[in-house]
Amino acid sequence: MWAARSAAGSLVTRSARTVPLEGMTMAEEVRAEMVANVWKVVVGVGDPVAAGDALVILDSMKMEIPVISEDGGTVSEIAVREGDVVQDGDLIAIVEPTPA
Amino acid sequence: MSSGGRDESSIRAVGPMTDVVTALPRPRREAASDDRDPVGRLGRLLDAGSLAPLHEDDGSGVRAVAGRVEGQAVVAYCTDGRTMGGAIGAGGARRIARAIDLGADKGLPVLGLWHSGGARLAEGVESLDGIGSMFAAMVRASGRVPQISVVLGPAAGGAAYGPALTDLVIMSDAGRLFVTGPDVVRGVTGEDIDMAGLGGADAHGRRSGVVHLVAPSEAAALAQARRLTGLFARAGRFDPAAAGEPRDLRALLPDAPRRAYDVRPLVRAVLDEDGGFEEIQPRWAPNMVIGLGRLGGRAVGVVANNPIRKGGCLDSLSAEKASRFVRMCDALGVPLLVLVDVPGYLPGVRQEWDGVVRRGAKLLYAFAEATVPRVTLVTRKSFGGAYIAMNSRALGATAVFAWPEAEIAVMGAEAAVGILHRRRLAAAPEPDRPALAARLADEHRQIAAGVDRAVALGVVNEVIEPTTTRRRLIETFAAAADRRGEHGNIPL
Repeated sequence: MWAARSAAGSLVTRSARTVPLEGMTMAEEVRAEMVANVWKVVVGVGDPVAAGDALVILDSMKMEIPVISEDGGTVSEIAVREGDVVQDGDLIAIVEPTPA
Repeated sequence: MSSGGRDESSIRAVGPMTDVVTALPRPRREAASDDRDPVGRLGRLLDAGSLAPLHEDDGSGVRAVAGRVEGQAVVAYCTDGRTMGGAIGAGGARRIARAIDLGADKGLPVLGLWHSGGARLAEGVESLDGIGSMFAAMVRASGRVPQISVVLGPAAGGAAYGPALTDLVIMSDAGRLFVTGPDVVRGVTGEDIDMAGLGGADAHGRRSGVVHLVAPSEAAALAQARRLTGLFARAGRFDPAAAGEPRDLRALLPDAPRRAYDVRPLVRAVLDEDGGFEEIQPRWAPNMVIGLGRLGGRAVGVVANNPIRKGGCLDSLSAEKASRFVRMCDALGVPLLVLVDVPGYLPGVRQEWDGVVRRGAKLLYAFAEATVPRVTLVTRKSFGGAYIAMNSRALGATAVFAWPEAEIAVMGAEAAVGILHRRRLAAAPEPDRPALAARLADEHRQIAAGVDRAVALGVVNEVIEPTTTRRRLIETFAAAADRRGEHGNIPL
């Protein structure tokens, strides 16, 4: 469950058929990888996180599964609340890269 | 060091399998000043001073050589990215096919360096025929000798399927792989994407799984190829004396049995410290970790569930990822260590429609077919169909070990009690139900899920302590017959 991470806007979709050039700094969209209950939200908007830090902890398949930021940065959005049910692909959080 | 970017504008793919470079021929530069010079690239791949050309430069766009990697003889070839974007005609394809046949006959690893726009358009069908013969040579050698491809620049059409037919594909930062380039994609589908987005490291390292290893530079990609070649060519022997001091492997698991964790530190701690762990396809289907390292001095393949991703569930992609790796290791004689902590198959409509039945069956087939020594360690839990698929005794595991607290069952105790004792739980007063369920789950765990029961049934050979795990694994591998499968490594 963890975080099907996708760089914001980098997916080629029917609705937006343009892709930013490689090298652009993009926010990290952290998405659910499986159906789960949101057990705990462990960070808040504005919190700095390092790569590998847990953002929320999901409950699925009788397991507690931390959802982690792969890149680290600053949490700009938390899209879930404790008790929510997330589906595969649902947005969990957005982490903005820390400006260089 | 890498120079793929220079060629990006010159690639004009005209259709599937006929991708070509139509840019005007550039004046040939001095070889010494161009880092795309194939002999220079091969020289940087091989041990210093070991390169021996297999043929004169014949303008075919390919150079094939013999040489050494970490002192072991190998065969290697490289397309000439300086000429026509590295496009291959019948002559170049024949050079590659002969080099591969030579490696297969002599039992030598074959390494290919790719920077090629595909088939030479001017040669027409002759070049397609040549490339087809090259593919056939790759398949003839498959499973007999390791074939490693390094993509150092754009590789399109036939030059993309070449690497894809080999065992392992490494991509440098300048590497690109696609069947049809951005222009054709834009013309046909309207999707606007550059070469890097279409076929670069993120596309193939994370989305498609086409590339096994991504390297930040050409030098790093060549070093990666050398390390992998060394693991195959200098396989070594299991030496129980190399187990070293007992390691507290249990400390690498979380205290809470329900808590997910990253399995990779555990994999590294089980393997030899000085042998490294070359993780393969680390960002694709990451709920399954696969890779090569050394255990007691011997090169081994590792297959491990990774609970931090999808809870470590098996699903369609992770089963497919592991299947191909298991078959590669079996064909090339690399013993397999399987670390199991799996809650089951991932439920869901998407999984079923993705073919989790078809793709999951590949993993059952791959393990059941494998004759190479293969040892399983259940660290925490192994449930249901996933228990069978993760190299169970029934599929022919050389041995299955379990740590003392491991649970092996059809499903977790709480879930089982919910089904087996549904009526009894429903009849109990509401406030008492959680306590009753917990007590029943404990009982069930003792009777049906405990590791003692699994030992009594013979599905677990032995319960071992985390501290002595390395020694027992090495002893078990050392005592197993050194066999390997007789089959190719189809790109599953």
